[in-house]
Amino acid sequence: MLIDLGWFSFDLFQITYDGVLLAVGGTAILAALGVVLCSSPIYSALYLIGHMICLAILFLMYGAEFIAAVQLIVYAGAVMILFLFIIALLGGKKESQSFDFHKFMALSFIGTVLAELALSARVGPTRPVTGIFDEKLIADVGNAKAIGLELYSKHLIPFELASCLLLVAGVGIICLSKFTYKPPQRRSN
Amino acid sequence: MFGYGWLVLIAPLLGFLSLSCLGKRIPRSIAGYLGCATVGFAFFISLILLVHLSVLEPEERVGGAQALYTWIDSGQFHLDFAILIDPLSVFMFLIVTGVGFLIHVYSLGYMEHDPEFKRFFAYLNLFIFSMCVLVSAADFFFLIVGWALVGLASYLLIGFWRDKPSAVLAARKAFVMNVIGDVGMLVAAFMIFETFGSLSYQKVFEMAPTMFLANDMNMILITLFLLVGAFAKSAQLPLHTWLPDAMEGPTPVSALIHAATMVTAGVYLVARCHTLFELAPFTMYVIATVGIITATFAGTIAMVQTDIKRVIAYSTMSQLGYMFLAVGLGMFSFGMFHLMTHAFFKALLFLGAGSVIHSLNEEQDIRKMGGLAKAMPVTYITFLIGSLALAGFPLTSGFFSKEAIIMGAYHSEMGNILFWGLAVFTAGMTAFYTFRLFFCVFQGDLRTPDAHPHESPVTMTGPLVILGFFALAAGVLGPWVDSFLSPVFGGHAEHYQDGFLETIAVFVGLGGIMTAGLLYMVRSDKIEPIKEALAPIQEILFHKYYVDEIYDFLIVKPVKAISVFLEDMGEKKGVDFAVDQVGEQVREVSKYVSLWQSGRIRDYAVNMVAGMALVLIFVAFL
Amino acid sequence: MGQEFILLVSATVFCIGAFGFMVRKNPLIMFMSVELMLNSVNFLLIGYSNILKSLDGQIFALMIMAVAAAEVVVGLALILTIFRTRHDLNVDHLDSLKG
Repeated sequence: MLIDLGWFSFDLFQITYDGVLLAVGGTAILAALGVVLCSSPIYSALYLIGHMICLAILFLMYGAEFIAAVQLIVYAGAVMILFLFIIALLGGKKESQSFDFHKFMALSFIGTVLAELALSARVGPTRPVTGIFDEKLIADVGNAKAIGLELYSKHLIPFELASCLLLVAGVGIICLSKFTYKPPQRRSN
Repeated sequence: MFGYGWLVLIAPLLGFLSLSCLGKRIPRSIAGYLGCATVGFAFFISLILLVHLSVLEPEERVGGAQALYTWIDSGQFHLDFAILIDPLSVFMFLIVTGVGFLIHVYSLGYMEHDPEFKRFFAYLNLFIFSMCVLVSAADFFFLIVGWALVGLASYLLIGFWRDKPSAVLAARKAFVMNVIGDVGMLVAAFMIFETFGSLSYQKVFEMAPTMFLANDMNMILITLFLLVGAFAKSAQLPLHTWLPDAMEGPTPVSALIHAATMVTAGVYLVARCHTLFELAPFTMYVIATVGIITATFAGTIAMVQTDIKRVIAYSTMSQLGYMFLAVGLGMFSFGMFHLMTHAFFKALLFLGAGSVIHSLNEEQDIRKMGGLAKAMPVTYITFLIGSLALAGFPLTSGFFSKEAIIMGAYHSEMGNILFWGLAVFTAGMTAFYTFRLFFCVFQGDLRTPDAHPHESPVTMTGPLVILGFFALAAGVLGPWVDSFLSPVFGGHAEHYQDGFLETIAVFVGLGGIMTAGLLYMVRSDKIEPIKEALAPIQEILFHKYYVDEIYDFLIVKPVKAISVFLEDMGEKKGVDFAVDQVGEQVREVSKYVSLWQSGRIRDYAVNMVAGMALVLIFVAFL
Repeated sequence: MGQEFILLVSATVFCIGAFGFMVRKNPLIMFMSVELMLNSVNFLLIGYSNILKSLDGQIFALMIMAVAAAEVVVGLALILTIFRTRHDLNVDHLDSLKG
């Protein structure tokens, strides 16, 4: 919907879309900061859920409906609930925050890396890769089905390997929780 | 053509592996029979090979190299695991496995009460395998492999009684002396490869006559280095000192390794490489000279030794000298013939000595023996046969083989009166010391009152009888040996007839026997002054010309002095100091570096991100 | 609002996650920081999948989610085990591997 004001014309849909993107992206960053800066783990977890939801909205806006749904169900749902359980189990003790040399080092490195990444954001895409699905086909069959078709044909082996990984992880936690572990005696030197 | 030839090798190897690896799972009662059976099987295969060779035309008998497996194929270097089946190797197979089999059977009785019975048979099988590798090698590489393996087997068997310090020392001495020879062989092999570009006998022997004239410096050097190996293995001067000491091992070992087979490897080597040696007449002359000097030298020492095994050991050296004289004079088949008869009668003498030692509870001093003839009739008779053969009594096997060599020493191309004279003189000495031994052991009265000599069991006397038969009768095989081996040596050795010289040789031998009888049977008082007059000479001879002491003074002492000096100055103050300092400094530095490894995950994360930042800086700006 | 937005948001979130991992001492929050980093990469992949018109990015994002789920489960079990044996949640005290 193109709106022409004579001296200034804009696409109303596009500007709304961009505004929502900016707002949700900004919220995601703020939520991420909240995760890191909160002293109590329970707040961190809540902020992380907020961050996940923001990301899910962004995924939706980038046309990845299926991934957005998975993000909500698996991450914001299952994983974060697991986190909350553990926090409830261990007790959400506050952690003393002090500004030490360590933190200064971390900040400077992170600043460097962020500057680098921001710099590299100007390079842009190097080589366009196109799959067998174009926009029209995806619109026809739907995003979830398109992913399914792709996943079970072209990426079958990584998919199966990922399932193996989950199985191993399952066996691993059973071992960790089932068998008691005796800590080694620290040698005094 | 001889696709089954490898069976000769594989049987003793399997015997060795099963006896040594399976250990306690093989019951003691079976172990001995297993050891004998593998060697017996190898002997059986050798007999089949002999028949197979005999039906072939003489021209087809040579060059039967069987490549079993290509081992290395790298650029110009090609190495097959090959075995060579020709009259010479089959001849050696027969001696090694045949005499070896008899000695295995003998060991059943001799080692019966030894707690490490199985280990003994495992080593014996290893030796038979190694010797077969040595004689069946089709190239210099596997010749050296076999050469080193027999050295190892000999080391293991000399030091078999490992809680006996003298045996361990003797084993070490033998090993070191043999390694000197191995180094010579290695240098020779390198030179051969450098010169001919191949290690295969066939190629080398084909190329050598076309590339070099006689007495070319290359050929002389190669053959001299080969000779170092041959002399070390066959205990010729000046590398002989290990052989008498090797008598510390069990007696069957002395019979098998240090009389019948391994020590003859040097003679075999010269015969096998006769093409190379014929191109270097100078080396041939060296061989003949060293051979006859060793024969005389060892003969003189043997006259005064009192240990029964040492006397026979020196006589072995002396007889090996004869063999080297023969091959050095170009009479290869006579050398091999003497090798064969010597294998029979010397194995017989050693086994007889073993029987005597066994019945006298490990007594080896002949001055304490005597009068065993009645107690041990079989040993007595067979020992007598062996002694006659060794002394070259007419019509025994030793007579034929030795007489051929003595005649050749004068009449052959390089022969001269000096060789002949020394050979005859040595023959006389041989007869003397052999019968000195014989009379001391079997005649007169027993000089240890509390001993109860008894005849040995049938496993020991059986091999004695068989060997006795061959020692007596093998002389008739002389012409056959010559014709059988002639395809390998490219012609017959000429058998010289000279009635006058033969008569002298025979009478010198008989004179030796008579002298021994006079001195040790009659014991007349008139002889005492002569004995006293000869005492200084006897002293020198008894100490083997002080060769061990000379080596000790010339080589061992200076090396030790230099080593002590180097240990003090070089090792402690130089190398050790430097090494210690390096370690010390590294430890100092690591004290600070290890602070880096704090054990805290967050520190590691900081390091990781720092690394990442650096990489990104590198990618973005550089 | 093209790829710069995607890159900047994902880089920022990634760096926040890395920062959190480096400065926090509570292992639970460190894990959450790791989740942040993984999610930022997910976002990058989805965004570029949209720009490049390829489904591969979404597939990769799915894989990362599977790995992240496995990692969280094992990691939490480890934290639980450590807490059970040491009754302490400060990662700075886990320095048995000190050199």
